[in-house]
Amino acid sequence: MSEVPQNASYMVAAYVITAVILVGYAVSLYRRTNKP
Amino acid sequence: MGELIAQAWTVARKDLILEFRTRTALVSAVAFTALVLTVFNFGRDPTAVSTIDLAPTILWVTFTFAATLALNRAFQLELENQALEGLLVSPLSRTSLYWGKLIANLVFVAVVEGVGLPLFVLFFDVPVGHVLVPLIGVIALATLGFVAVGTLFSALVMRTRFAELLLVVILLPFLVPPLIGAVQATARLLDGRPLSESVGYLKLLAAYDIVFVSLASFLFRFAVDE
Amino acid sequence: MTLAQKGRWTTVVALVCLAAVYVRALAFTPVERLQGPAQKIYYLHVPAAIWTETAMILVGLASIFYLFLKDARLDRFAEASAEVGTVFATIVLTTGPIWGKPIWGTWWTWDARLTSTLLLFFLYVGYLLVRGAVRDPGLRARYAAVLGICGMCLVPFIHLSVFMFRTLHPQPIILKPSAPSLPGSMLATWLFSLAAFTLLYVGFVIQRYALSLGREAHGGGSPGHV
Repeated sequence: MSEVPQNASYMVAAYVITAVILVGYAVSLYRRTNKP
Repeated sequence: MGELIAQAWTVARKDLILEFRTRTALVSAVAFTALVLTVFNFGRDPTAVSTIDLAPTILWVTFTFAATLALNRAFQLELENQALEGLLVSPLSRTSLYWGKLIANLVFVAVVEGVGLPLFVLFFDVPVGHVLVPLIGVIALATLGFVAVGTLFSALVMRTRFAELLLVVILLPFLVPPLIGAVQATARLLDGRPLSESVGYLKLLAAYDIVFVSLASFLFRFAVDE
Repeated sequence: MTLAQKGRWTTVVALVCLAAVYVRALAFTPVERLQGPAQKIYYLHVPAAIWTETAMILVGLASIFYLFLKDARLDRFAEASAEVGTVFATIVLTTGPIWGKPIWGTWWTWDARLTSTLLLFFLYVGYLLVRGAVRDPGLRARYAAVLGICGMCLVPFIHLSVFMFRTLHPQPIILKPSAPSLPGSMLATWLFSLAAFTLLYVGFVIQRYALSLGREAHGGGSPGHV
């Protein structure tokens, strides 16, 4: 029975990038709305 | 219907007469096509990759460039002399205007492809004689798709800055499905495979043409009215 | 509560839900034996892909109705959906390669989902560029609507052509990506994630819509009535 691949770092990278993009966009929307 | 055809032909004729009088755009497009084909030759190692494998891609990238060039000039003339306003005020229907432009663009691209294909055969030593008719069919189907959408989009970007650049950017995603169909069908034809193997791709091309020619023809009025 | 505030609250709730999904996916969902922890990227990648495409279809639908009803609300919604769709496309296009590298051994694989999303991304960019390039609000809304409708109609062709293209280039069968039938707890995580992304789409669109509304009120000019 083969080992489970050790690729958790990719998982973390993807989760972090997604969070950054989403939170980043939320912040961008907030700032653009508050400074017409 | 007859009215539509007559009007479309009037518009197309005007464009084509203008085009063939000066011939600059045509000559430039043909020269450009020859240049692209030449560059492709230097971009590969003939001993490593057989021409036949790359041939469809080379052909279609070249034709795509040619079509985009043709489309860029589609509305330039009208813009320069405010001729478009004149056209719109005339009793010409928007749909006939679209068809006229489409026909003119198709003729232009057909001429460029008509020179490009023999050049391609010459430069890359690709035998097409035995499949010439189906090949021309594939070329015609794909070109119709590109030009139908492109004619609509050139009206859309006409008044914007960087119109030529914008046209290419918005057009590119629309070129991918017909390009896939065209390249695959061309590859099979050049490979000597029976036409039945390309049927799926031909259907893709045909469906694309039907949908987008109708759609573009219908939406055109929204792109030109003030 | 103003519209912008409602949007903000929705987004905050959505982000909290997303955080909960993160916890569930990372700590409480079993690791897939063949792919390892990297498989969990799937829980973010696929819902984002679903919304990238849905957002485009909604842009298209709003565009159709705008052309006939000339209701500015539809145009604002289309603009908002396009921008949010672009954000989701970015997520798919970044998580995709990060998933692909450990699983397929290569950053980019031209697999069906990534390729389709890439084309959608270009469609979105083109749409936003056209919107940026036209000054007059009425004209902008109309041109954008034309492009939006074409974009929506392109989606089935993207799927069809990519599918046909892919069956020629079989994916390296080292590991099969997660099958549609996920075991219970994985499916639950996936569904929660989809719900979170849905809420994110709604919150973002409301905020972006409110932003357009605010800009118009400050002298931007409206593309239609209401």
